[in-house]
Amino acid sequence: MTTRRIVSAGVFGIGALAALGLAGPAQAQNPAEVKVGLLVPLSGLYARPGQVMKMGAEMAIEHINALGGIKALGGAKLKLVLLDSGDTVEKAKNAAQRMVAQETDLVAASGAYLSSFTLAVTEVTERAELPVLTLSYSDLITDRGFKYVFQTSATAASQARQCLPVMMQVAEKATGQKPKTVAIITDNTGASVASVKPMREGLLKEHGLNLVVDETFTPPLSDATPLVQKVRATRPDLLFFLPTVISDAKLVLEKMNEFGLGQARIPTVSFGIAIAEPEMLRTMSPELLQGVMSCVGSWGSKGHEKLIAELKSKYNEPWMTQNAISTYADMWVIAAALEKSGKADKAAVAEALRTLDLGPSKYYPGGLIKFDDKGRRVDAGLTILQWQNGIPNTVYPPDLAMSEAVWSKK
Amino acid sequence: MSLRALLPVFGFVLAYAVLSLLVTNSYYQLMLTLVLVWACFGLSWNLLSGYTGLVSFGHAAFFGLGAYTTALGQIHFDVTPWLMIPVSALVGGLAGLAIGFPTFRLRGHYFALAMLAYPLALLYVFEWLGYQELTLPIKRENPAAYMQFSDHRVYTLLALVLLFAVMAFSLFVERSRFGRALLAIKQNEAAAEAAGIDTLSWKLKAIVVSGAIAGMVGGFYAVVLLVVTPPSVFGMLVSAQALTVTMFGGIGSVWGPVIGAAFLIPVGEILHAELGARFPGIQGVIYGLAIIGVILIAPEGVYWKVRDRLTKRRAVPARTLDAAVATPASTAGPRSRPGPEAPVAMSVRGISKSFGGLKANQDISFDVPEGAILGIIGPNGAGKTTLFNLLNGFIKPDEGEVKVYGEVTTGMKPHRLCALGVGRTFQVMRPFMRMSVAENVVVGAYVATKDDAEAKRFAAEAVARVGLSAVADRLASELTTKELRLMELARALAGRPKLLLLDETLAGLGHGEADEVVAVIRRLAGEAITIVIIEHTMQAMVKLVDHFLVLDHGAVLVDGEPEAVTRDPRVIEAYLGKKWVADAQA
Repeated sequence: MTTRRIVSAGVFGIGALAALGLAGPAQAQNPAEVKVGLLVPLSGLYARPGQVMKMGAEMAIEHINALGGIKALGGAKLKLVLLDSGDTVEKAKNAAQRMVAQETDLVAASGAYLSSFTLAVTEVTERAELPVLTLSYSDLITDRGFKYVFQTSATAASQARQCLPVMMQVAEKATGQKPKTVAIITDNTGASVASVKPMREGLLKEHGLNLVVDETFTPPLSDATPLVQKVRATRPDLLFFLPTVISDAKLVLEKMNEFGLGQARIPTVSFGIAIAEPEMLRTMSPELLQGVMSCVGSWGSKGHEKLIAELKSKYNEPWMTQNAISTYADMWVIAAALEKSGKADKAAVAEALRTLDLGPSKYYPGGLIKFDDKGRRVDAGLTILQWQNGIPNTVYPPDLAMSEAVWSKK
Repeated sequence: MSLRALLPVFGFVLAYAVLSLLVTNSYYQLMLTLVLVWACFGLSWNLLSGYTGLVSFGHAAFFGLGAYTTALGQIHFDVTPWLMIPVSALVGGLAGLAIGFPTFRLRGHYFALAMLAYPLALLYVFEWLGYQELTLPIKRENPAAYMQFSDHRVYTLLALVLLFAVMAFSLFVERSRFGRALLAIKQNEAAAEAAGIDTLSWKLKAIVVSGAIAGMVGGFYAVVLLVVTPPSVFGMLVSAQALTVTMFGGIGSVWGPVIGAAFLIPVGEILHAELGARFPGIQGVIYGLAIIGVILIAPEGVYWKVRDRLTKRRAVPARTLDAAVATPASTAGPRSRPGPEAPVAMSVRGISKSFGGLKANQDISFDVPEGAILGIIGPNGAGKTTLFNLLNGFIKPDEGEVKVYGEVTTGMKPHRLCALGVGRTFQVMRPFMRMSVAENVVVGAYVATKDDAEAKRFAAEAVARVGLSAVADRLASELTTKELRLMELARALAGRPKLLLLDETLAGLGHGEADEVVAVIRRLAGEAITIVIIEHTMQAMVKLVDHFLVLDHGAVLVDGEPEAVTRDPRVIEAYLGKKWVADAQA
């Protein structure tokens, strides 16, 4: 509701500007308002991440408009159009079809959280030639030869490849020796499997790591004992633990603690934001999470303090997850593309996105604001965070790190 | 099936096509397509569960296999969905066979629960195989060859072709021997088996056809959605969708799933579109409440509710039911008992059956001469029902043998025994209430002839023989208990049996009514049908039978003529207790 009010205020403002004589004939063709879509799950199982994405988008639009809107369009304000992708692939597809059929004046959109939703949504938007930015990891999204999808996060395969050497460095720095053995405990959801796959298929060997435990489970777990017992028996130097469901994370971490492996006595590394969501603290004590790390596509880090504070005061979010910061950044990228194209037109914005080159990225970790032929952000990096005293802090890359990684010396 | 029956379907499809051609908004067009997809899927479910009454909670298994077949065919082998969708149908049909064969051993809730497990298991199998997310590759050149169209109306038209085919097929099934066999199974599987219907084979046919349709629809769904994930095709919600649209619209009718889908899919989506972004989640609540509301008002589904309303309005004032049973012109004269030289129709030698420690039947032997009426009586728990079930093949004896017309039938399946000329009725009547008397009876005639027209003739004859011709067109739900008993009898007669096994046919009838039924049975016996009747009470039987077999504690107590049996002190004792023996003889 806040957005609506601010946006309408913006509309009013532009009207006033036009009345003051700023609007020439060129302005007359330009809309006073430029619509941007946000297609995310607002209901159902994934409503919570969708809500956080909405917060990020709203904040960005507010900031962009407060700074004078799209200057190339005579200060046109951005307006967010929300669409609910629901909780099934079919609903996501329906929402995308509705978006392209009924919101014909959208210039670009962001969405749709879950990889499978993003895949379905972009099948529609590709055919409608509407550019879409996404934070989803799946490699498949940008492997289909699509021209209208732009992936801002490093893909799952790339993240695994980036994460491993960093973990090795961090470990060596902390303990003075390279880890030699690893264990994997993962659930069988799409994102987790995609992250683990490259590790199993040679990545671990490349780094001289020996896989001693490799367990895949189907959520929800009823008992984590057999899994954790295997870890205790082999005592690996590193544990990759990839849950998607909070209760699974809780079960395994509690059991690790019970077996005296907790608080990163066996360094525990996850992928994705599930393990760093604020919800984790509702069912778990911060001590249980202490030391647990995760490789994520992006995270509110050093240099984003103002944003993090604003998110906290406005929406009562304790920290800024990828969902918030990536979607915040998406809006700025769309704004930049609009500035570049000078036209409130989806084809022009798509072309601008393809040729955009704004140098180093401010809100996404590493790399550039530039997309390659596949639509992947060039040199997209990742962030590694670690639970420290009840807060997931960024510990890598160094330029974003808010603190040093703590590593057990066993 | 006549073309006339197809006219409403044709009209509907045509109207829908016109509507679809007028809609240019691709989102509304997608809705039009999805309505048809779910209607077809509902029809597939209806074909098995609607007609046989075996509720399947697992139709997503067939749907998902179809979707994955089409998707994987294009991804790995670059085979177009035009070819893969028929392959999906094949895979669905085979899956139906593979699932049906073991699962049809189960009935009722157990069947439903077992079916639930298949898609859930497949979901994990496909996740394990690494098929978490599949997309059908985009074809920028020659998309039509891969069923990819920028004009969404084409999808709707394709779906319409699919729907027309499935509806026409369903109608054909409904009106054929196939459909009636399935309905007979729904009503009473044991009775169907006894009426000569090979229930397992019909059920397998139904699940194969149903699976094939579901597989085909699944393949098409993959083409429409372009993305296939295990939860989106094997998920609980997918199976539930088939149930919801069918139950909402009306089970056991071709229109039910269509009505259900045409209402529920757009309503669900409109609620989602209008409210989803503003009050997240509220759409589910309203949708659920709407379904509950409609189910409360129309528990059997919208179609039946509307149909009942319309037929009631059109119904002629009820005829007087008393006049319904006309005594048919007696073709046979007064019958005489078969003499001692008469050939044996059924011969039972030393059969025994135990259930755990309970000896239900012990060493029972008797002969039934052709044309005789044998009454099997005995107090409660005497073993009558067990004996009956041994005679007609529902259970296998531990020892001994049964011969019918010289052929050993011990352990023979009921439907095969029926084909030998043994008909039976059941104590508990389960007529098809929404069907006419003639339609009810025709099920029994299928065993006697392969020709449907001839089956109808046999049924009409049977109806005439029991004197129900006057009410032949009336719905079974309008009949009295006596008329229903006679209709049961007619159903058994329609198969042209030489030997009839009657299970408590006189139960629940008043005095006068019992006499009328007795008269009909006597007349049948006069027409050279051998009759074995089991009864709890003796009274009406005395006037009917030539011979009594009295059972007590699982063994034959007395075997003799009615007059002698009724005076036998052992019989009186068994029925009334020792102290009455003296009174009865006095």
